[in-house]
Amino acid sequence: MEALKVWSLTATPLKQLLRLSSSSTRLATTIYGRRSYHLSPALRCASAASSSSSSATTAETSKPSGRNRRSASSSNSTSDREAIRSIRLKKVEELRGQGLEPYAYKWEKSHSANQLQEIYKHLANGEESDNEIDCVSIAGRVVARRAFGKLAFLTLRDDSGTIQLYCEKERLSDDQFEQLKQFIDIGDILGASGSMKRTEKGELSICVNSFSILTKSLLPLPDKYHGLTDIDKRYRQRYVDMIANPEVADVFRRRAKIVSEIRKTVESFGYLEVETPVLQGAAGGAEARPFVTFHNSLGRDLYLRIATELHLKRMLVGGFEKVYEIGRIFRNEGISTRHNPEFTTIEMYEAYSDYHSMMDMAELIVTQCSMAVNGKLTIDYQGTEICLERPWRRETMHNLVKEITGINFSELGEDLGNAKDTVLLALQDVLEPKDKSGIRACSSLGHLLNEIFEVVVEPKLVQPTFVLDYPIEISPLAKPHRGNAGLTERFELFICGREMANAFSELTDPVDQRTRLEEQVRQHNAKRAEAVRESPEPNAKKDDDDDESYEVTLDEDFLTALEYGMPPASGMGLGIDRLVMLLTNSASIRDVIAFPVLKLQQ
Amino acid sequence: MEGAADQTTKALSELAMDSSTTLNAAESSAGDGAGPRSKNALKKEQKMKQKEEEKRRKDEEKAEKAKQAPKASSQKAVAADDEEMDATQYYENRLKYLAAEKAKGENPYPHKFAVSMSIPKYIETYGSLNNGDHVENAEESLAGRIMSKRSSSSKLFFYDLHGDDFKVQVMADASKSGLDEAEFLKLHSNAKRGDIVGVIGFPGKTKRGELSIFPRSFILLSHCLHMMPRKADNVNAKKPEIWVPGQTRNPEAYVLKDQESRYRQRHLDMILNVEVRQIFRTRAKIISYVRRFLDNKNFLEVETPMMNMIAGGAAARPFVTHHNDLDMRLYMRIAPELYLKQLIVGGLERVYEIGKQFRNEGIDLTHNPEFTTCEFYMAFADYNDLMEMTEVMLSGMVKELTGGYKIKYNANGYDKDPIEIDFTPPFRRIEMIGELEKVAKLNIPKDLASEEANKYLIDACARFDVKCPPPQTTARLLDKLVGEFLEPTCVNPTFIINQPEIMSPLAKWHRSKSGLTERFELFINKHELCNAYTELNDPVVQRQRFADQLKDRQSGDDEAMALDETFCNALEYGLAPTGGWGLGIDRLSMLLTDSLNIKEVLFFPAMRPPQEESAAAQAPLTEEKK
Repeated sequence: MEALKVWSLTATPLKQLLRLSSSSTRLATTIYGRRSYHLSPALRCASAASSSSSSATTAETSKPSGRNRRSASSSNSTSDREAIRSIRLKKVEELRGQGLEPYAYKWEKSHSANQLQEIYKHLANGEESDNEIDCVSIAGRVVARRAFGKLAFLTLRDDSGTIQLYCEKERLSDDQFEQLKQFIDIGDILGASGSMKRTEKGELSICVNSFSILTKSLLPLPDKYHGLTDIDKRYRQRYVDMIANPEVADVFRRRAKIVSEIRKTVESFGYLEVETPVLQGAAGGAEARPFVTFHNSLGRDLYLRIATELHLKRMLVGGFEKVYEIGRIFRNEGISTRHNPEFTTIEMYEAYSDYHSMMDMAELIVTQCSMAVNGKLTIDYQGTEICLERPWRRETMHNLVKEITGINFSELGEDLGNAKDTVLLALQDVLEPKDKSGIRACSSLGHLLNEIFEVVVEPKLVQPTFVLDYPIEISPLAKPHRGNAGLTERFELFICGREMANAFSELTDPVDQRTRLEEQVRQHNAKRAEAVRESPEPNAKKDDDDDESYEVTLDEDFLTALEYGMPPASGMGLGIDRLVMLLTNSASIRDVIAFPVLKLQQ
Repeated sequence: MEGAADQTTKALSELAMDSSTTLNAAESSAGDGAGPRSKNALKKEQKMKQKEEEKRRKDEEKAEKAKQAPKASSQKAVAADDEEMDATQYYENRLKYLAAEKAKGENPYPHKFAVSMSIPKYIETYGSLNNGDHVENAEESLAGRIMSKRSSSSKLFFYDLHGDDFKVQVMADASKSGLDEAEFLKLHSNAKRGDIVGVIGFPGKTKRGELSIFPRSFILLSHCLHMMPRKADNVNAKKPEIWVPGQTRNPEAYVLKDQESRYRQRHLDMILNVEVRQIFRTRAKIISYVRRFLDNKNFLEVETPMMNMIAGGAAARPFVTHHNDLDMRLYMRIAPELYLKQLIVGGLERVYEIGKQFRNEGIDLTHNPEFTTCEFYMAFADYNDLMEMTEVMLSGMVKELTGGYKIKYNANGYDKDPIEIDFTPPFRRIEMIGELEKVAKLNIPKDLASEEANKYLIDACARFDVKCPPPQTTARLLDKLVGEFLEPTCVNPTFIINQPEIMSPLAKWHRSKSGLTERFELFINKHELCNAYTELNDPVVQRQRFADQLKDRQSGDDEAMALDETFCNALEYGLAPTGGWGLGIDRLSMLLTDSLNIKEVLFFPAMRPPQEESAAAQAPLTEEKK
């Protein structure tokens, strides 16, 4: 394990350095998640090559690595953060002493950095635009700084990219140039105006006529900051992460584009976006442990929703025929690279349709999003090529289990004990002990089928696959299959072995629904009773950890609504965080959530 | 005399329905109650009242029908019997019907129905037919909810089919159904008001010009098990105009009027009151407009946490919850501000979030524990830019939704004349302190952080009889006085600007007016809709402000803001000059939909559990069912 880790670290930095030296532009196929992680070792190497902070920062702007060695030392070479902060606080005071405000009120930008790079593409090396009629104005953060006598170069980064500032003492007033040398540090936010010029070496630059310090930063940017070697800190201080790694912001731009594309796609079919309560009197619509809170003036417990389903269905009863909600869901469960206590889904419901419509909709949404953010349908996810081209495979759970394990559940007979024995015998070579325990614990044939599916089949569903016709025992809200007893009209969508969507023809029979929900409550309470029995002296800690410690109650409001008549309908939930992970090639859910929930800092 | 009796009958009928729905609501929330004897007593009393009510209603209705239709046909008699039944009996009968269907192997809840056309589209396509025309070679499939049913014989039934806020008549003729007479009668006897049906047939117009569909096939898709409240048939009443944004609403025309029932059973509200669905469509359009406006200005939509380890970003009381695995306390966010600003530090220059905020406070006409806001942050902009953007956004929205800049709003209640609110830009701007001094004839000490100022304001409040509960901080005193003297004057959109530093811990000090900030609040119809400022981006000053807030908190102001170390640390990496802006979506929706109660614009507002007595009375029933 340790040896493998060492080897991995040894190999990757070399690739990273090669990438830095071989390419001056960001490649469309850059694997952001991976690069973010490996950038630190590269930076460490770069830092070792020279002791100044500006060289490492220069590396981030993708200049040829040879230039790293030519940097001048900066005025803030000390590595001690507190000392730097102290020094910069003094600069703030000195600036104010001179009647200058280091925290400006606004700045008028005429262009973004990328716009300038584009508009002045035509300038030849050494050429300068007409200073009188072609004055531009820009603002951004200083990410590199070099000064030589009467000349200074600053690299400014804004939302769109970077541009160089070319500062000649002759062109600036004496005060301004001295101010620039004395007070400006990497990390400061600057506004500058001037004319455009391409240097003899080919760098497009602004010949600065005047500038303003807009924000004086107090803390140094993290070229030596340990946060870059600690993934936890990247998430804890996302703003530093984004300053140091511009590609991180790109993930969130893509996320916004994906959400926007989903909305556009769904609304083009006439769906109405709605908002339903986060705080509810009862937690229902899924099986999950809820967060509990307390409303002071109502004097009652409230639960954070674990699904939006029950409220959205009430709207179909109310006469809306197509509704959707993009919103947050809360589950009081463990944290992992694939789970965050709060996550985002879209849930949609359509009257008079069945689950086949939702398969078409799922395909359409995912392909539209992939085209919007990637421009293609064949994508790479963590080293695996995924083809999103429609149509996607649609296969029943029974057939998939049979295909992969050879077990035909239709022929196992009604006896649960015999079925378990048959399954355990057939799969004894591939099952882990905990899997075997899971199988023995199954309470019905439906649960058994689902258990085998999850353990053996699910990880193999790499290309987009709709798994159809779930057993009725594990689908309390889905309608019975119109042709196959014991099954429901439900599907789940799997890509890369992960569930992306869950959908069904909705159960609209209020009598059947009541029976199933009552059974769900009964089973839940039975488990609670059993858990209590198994621990004669439970303490508070154990009770908290118990998966079944929370209360589940019937949602009478929902059942009453169904009794007013709900049209035949289909509904689907799609995990937006997971979709964003897939389409931005992110390994961890934390990479696609700007501020994930983290443990308390030690 | 006859009219009055008729009116009384209808009112009683509706009252009975209200009682029925109230019972249903009570039933849905079983609570602890008094002892067994008390429960039984209450139950008996409730049943007695219900029976008396039903009997009275039945008697009066029978008398009415006997008077008006002495020769009712047998089919009408059947329909009348259904309508005269008490709600519980009706429900039981429907359950029996379902059970009987299942016993025969029939599925009363089909899986889907292929709709060829929506009802609005059908009306648009065939609305131009001439009276009496039929297009028997065309076949269309429609689906929707039956809201009225009548028959002229055992071979001819008429239904109003509702879908997507429109309705079309179904004229079911036995001779075209392909069923024999007995089958036809049975099918249509089982179709009740409220049921959802699919109709496959041909289009046409009756001789009187009613657009209809003539079914060859009539399929029950879903069943309404509860008796659907009936609309009072008042021949003299005007047909209400369909409501559109900018106009006043007409709640008196609602079929289901009782507010409690409407909010607790929103599904029923939406079935019966078409206007309610229009309200929510308008809300969706408002949010869509805001999103489009910001997207077109290159803002990036983001999502920030709703659960935080610290309550910050605004002055309010948070909901608290607990994460089991991490074993830590989490607070539901009261504002997304601090996270959004961290994103500006991170290099995203324009960000916004439309989402829920949570405040653990009382419920009233304009407050719900969870509400929706839009917040955006724009680097390199200041509050002047934000005021202009606000004007452009809101006036453009009103123009798009209503066709003009003025809306009518029943600010004084639906029984009084509406006021007019004019969104024509530019909006009036008034300075908070300057205007307050002018209107109330005050001379407030310059240094608002001083004891002198605090004392002066306490005296001023006493003099004007303006109540300010402890703690009487200067910020709270000013807030009360502004509420008394300035806010009532802000009916048309008005910016109150340049709030004092002590009231605005996150806003930047004014560049030219000492002690003030570059902040504004937008008031419309005397209520705050929007709050914005040039953001404070000096980390040293920010820490000082938090320290001052801590002082207020220690003196008992539990709405003062807590220190957020992560946020202060982020500022130290440099926040560009930034304008920040927040708008209450629910309040804006209320204005543009002529709603006086925030619950009108929330699909499922937070409600107090039903009265304990009713819950207790219903407890045995609930237990019985379980």
